[in-house]
Parts: sequence; C-alpha cells; structure tokens
Amino acid sequence: MITVQNLKKTFRVRRGGLLRGSSVVMEAVRDVSFSVGRGEIVGYLGPNGAGKSTTIKVLTGLLVPDSGQVTVGGLVPWKDRRAHVARLGAVFGQRTTLWWDLPVHESLELLRHVYRVPEARFRQNLRDFTELLELGPFLNTPARALSLGQRMRADLAAALLHDPELLFLDEPTVGLDVVAKERIREFVRHVNATREVTVLLTTHDLGDVERLARRVMIIDHGSLLYDGALASLQARYGSPRELVVDYEAAPTDPQVPGLTLLGADGPRVRYGFTGAAATPIARVTAHAPVRDIAVKEPEIEATIRRIYEGGLLRDAALLKR
Amino acid sequence: MDKSSISRPGQREGLFSSAVYHLHLYFLLLRAQARSQAVYRLSFALDAVGSALITLAEFAAFALVIPRFGTLSGWTLGEVALLYGLAELAFVLMDLLFGGFDAPNLSGHVRSGSFNTFLLRPAPLRLQIFGSDFALRRITRVFLAAGILAYGVSASGIVWTPEAAFLLAGSVLGMIAFFGGLFVIGGTLTFWTVESVEAMNVLTYGGRTLISYPMDIYGQFLRKTFTYLLPAAFLSYFPVLHVLGRPLPDGLPLLAAYLSPLVGPLMLAAAFAFWSVGVRHYGGTGT
Repeated sequence: MITVQNLKKTFRVRRGGLLRGSSVVMEAVRDVSFSVGRGEIVGYLGPNGAGKSTTIKVLTGLLVPDSGQVTVGGLVPWKDRRAHVARLGAVFGQRTTLWWDLPVHESLELLRHVYRVPEARFRQNLRDFTELLELGPFLNTPARALSLGQRMRADLAAALLHDPELLFLDEPTVGLDVVAKERIREFVRHVNATREVTVLLTTHDLGDVERLARRVMIIDHGSLLYDGALASLQARYGSPRELVVDYEAAPTDPQVPGLTLLGADGPRVRYGFTGAAATPIARVTAHAPVRDIAVKEPEIEATIRRIYEGGLLRDAALLKR
Repeated sequence: MDKSSISRPGQREGLFSSAVYHLHLYFLLLRAQARSQAVYRLSFALDAVGSALITLAEFAAFALVIPRFGTLSGWTLGEVALLYGLAELAFVLMDLLFGGFDAPNLSGHVRSGSFNTFLLRPAPLRLQIFGSDFALRRITRVFLAAGILAYGVSASGIVWTPEAAFLLAGSVLGMIAFFGGLFVIGGTLTFWTVESVEAMNVLTYGGRTLISYPMDIYGQFLRKTFTYLLPAAFLSYFPVLHVLGRPLPDGLPLLAAYLSPLVGPLMLAAAFAFWSVGVRHYGGTGT
C-alpha cells in the first residue's frame, strides 16, 4: 500500500527579517524508508518536531520531498494529487473537514459530491456509520455546536464515506474522555477489519497504539529509530518488570541475591527483574516470611519516554551504520 | 463490498460530463456558503445595509457636487454615473465571485490549515477556492450599482444599439476578469509573505477607484500609466468614450474601445499562471 524509500526533506528556516535575516537549512526527514501492507494498522510515533508530520504531509501529497521514492497504492502522491487523494481518508484531530455552520448531514452530503460517491453506496455507508458511531442525535446539528467527541466521530464518518483504501489518523482521541476514546478506537478497529482500510496512526496517546497497532514506527530527529512489533519493542527496550513484596516485618537486610533492589519502605520492598517471575518469587519467599506479592508490568508509556529521553534507539541506530 | 462502482476523479471522462460535474459542484459549494451565512441573520443584515451605504455615499458625493459646476471636465452627472456604475457593478460581482482568492481569506485558509483540507479533496483546487467564499451580503451593492448604471445609461442619452450593449457588457466582463486577476495575484503572494498584501490593495482598490472617474481629470502621468503600463483604461474608459460618441485619447484607433473582454481575461490568465507557481511553492514548504 505504501512504499517509502530514502525519503529526505529539508526546510529553509528564515531567522530575522526578510532582508537582513539569514536562512538555516533544517533536515526534517533524512533517509527514511519503510513500507506498509494493505490492511495494516501502523502506529507512527515520535516527539514533536521529529519528522512525523513532514512524513505524513509527503504521503498525503501536501509536500514534495527533496529526494526519495514514495508510492501510495501505485501512485506518486504529489504528482497525481486528485487521483491520489480520492483514495485517502484523513482525520486531523485539531481541525475539522466539516463546514462549520452547516448541519453535519449537509456537510456529508457535500462530500458525497466532492468524492462522487454513488447515491446508494453513500446511503449504505451513512447508515452503517450512523449506527456504529451513534451519529443520529447530532446529524442535524451544525459542526460548530458539536462537542469534541461528537465532532471527531462526525469527522471519522466524513473521512470514510468514499471507501478510502488508506486512512490517516492524527491524534484521533486527543482531549477525549476514556469512554469516547474507547468508542473511537473500537470503530477504527472495526473498519480496519471489515473494510480492509489501511491505517496510519500518529498519536501521543500510547493507549491508541496499544489498542490498535501491532506495529510501531518511531522517528526522532528525522530518522526512523525503530520499525517493528510493539511487543518486541517492549521486550527489548522496556524497563525491567517489578516485584512488590510485603514482608511480615521490615527485613533487616532487604537485599536478595539475583534481584535488583529498587527501594524499601518498611515491610514493603520493590525489586526489579527480567524474564519469568517464578524464580524471583521463590527467592524472595526463601529470604523472609512474606505476606503479599505483586508483579508490576512496565508501561509502554515509560518505555517510549525512555527511548526519547535516553536516546536508546539512536545509539543503536548509530551502531548499525 | 463493491467499490468498483465509485468513479474516481481524474479518470478519463467526457468533457461535457466533467464540465457538468464541476459546475454542479461549484453551485453546491456556493449554496453551502449562502446557507452558512443565513445563520447569522443580524450581522448579515447589518453588513448588507452598511456596505450599500458606502456606495450610496460615494455616489451621492458626485450627485451633489457635479450639478453645481455643470460638468466634471466636460462630463455630465449621467456620464459619470455610467462610468461609476460600470466599475462598481463589475467590482462587486468580482468580489462575490473571487472572494476566496482575496488575500485575507486565502491567508486565513493557509494559516488555519483549511487550505490543506482543500488539497486533500479530489476536486480541482481553484474550484474549491472559488467555492470557499460567497459574500451574499454584497448583493445590496449589486442592485445599487445596477441602479446607478441604469440611471447613467438613461441620463447620458445612449442610443441602444447592439454595439453599445456589446461594449458595455464586454466592459463589465473584462473588469470582472481583470480585478479577479488582481485578487488572485494578491492571494498568491500570501504563499510567500503577508506583508505584500497592503501594496497589492493599492493596485486593486486604487485601480477600482481610479477607473470610476473620467480619466480626463487625472494628469498625464497617471493617465499614461493606467493606459499603457497597467491597461485599466481599456476596461471601461475607452468603451464608454466610444459609446458616448467621443474620440479616444492619444489618437488611439477605435479598436482600443473593444479590447476590454480581451485585456481582462489576459490579466486573469497571467494571474492563474502565477497562482500555479505559488501552489508549487507551497508544496515545497508547506507553510
């Protein structure tokens, strides 16, 4: 569906006034390559300014790269704009594609003409999405009067009415409550499964990624640092698992051979370990009488944060070169 | 699921059906704009009355002054009304049609990201910009301008021949295209900078005001500039001189009176060529 080879894009950034300022060349994306198959959901992560949105703009045909080959469904995005975007759907969380002062259903009707969706197909899709996203109560409400969650649902419907093959989602759940987030994730999973829509998801909400994407790509400073399964990212770069032990009494020496002592607070002691939990538990119970034990899994959030902050992957990427 | 029935834009199709589709879409986009404005009734009504008052005040100024002196450089009130009505009618119609390209609107689209939304839709970009603004509140000014023009036609005693009708209609069309071109150029400049917009307004609004009056009242320099450099005199001044049975200045051939429907579209074509350069620049920077 998507093939990107050696994508590179630089910007000239002006400093100072038009006449006296100087311009600095900034490498937004340098030598990025990846491919995405039909029907995949891929999470595309990276801190702000890492090159995420530049990549998305190239893929959607909004930006022309300096060099590199990009094809989406066989087309070069910036060369054949109209044919390319006819097969895309896009939801950018921060702004709406709906006409601000028109009732939602009128916006959708307009988009039907823009995308030239046959009447019957449009009715069918509208019926499906109205049911799945519960659009019914606000189809007659103008976009400006919708809540954020309603607007996001309406925008999702708007992005999918023309049966796109590829859907770009940018921060689709930002600012929503837990229930609203879950509803949107559920819907995305559903259209991915039933309509074979390929989804490229950029988000800061790792909950979105965990619930939707099996594969993640991480970009920072314009280079792709990781491209692979979410699970192996966790295994390779995740923090150690944690064993929280409540002893019967505060132990005189909380150290246990083979375990990393993370902290001790009276009878409660925390240890770090990797691999299966059976051996560490046996060791701890042999060490002193134990009242309770809990195993805490590292959070993906913490893993990603460690990657950005510590440059874990950057060092690894440098080694590979 | 049958997706093959959806015809993808950009596919080969008949010229006629493609034209029908685009026209229909344009109409739908304008209707959406009109319906959106109907929401804000009070501000709509105030704008409609307010903008009509400006035109009325401007014209009332001549209507009160000219009869006191008899003529303005040999032009009667009716003849001035003819020039003024033509320019005002054309400019207001242009403003209605080309409002999406007006620099403040276009730079607003670029800044808010809705320009990207247009680029993400499979309809022609220019059609979407044309359909992004349709300030219906200007409709009162259209009627007013038509009224002033009608007064000018009757008071200056024009003999209604097919030729006169062609000259005046051609003048309006030429001006719509010409000033539309200036709007497009001004809007395109905002892809690079918003600082140039004021300079562009001098040409657009200044040019409009300039050709609302008989050119005889200006000095040589202005007259030459707006005849040969920026050919605004071809738009309404020469056709009106010819309709009134007067000779063209500088010994220009009569043909010059017929060139408005050519000069205007040429300006518009040049403006759209520049627009394409601007859109390509946008694709390089995405700002």
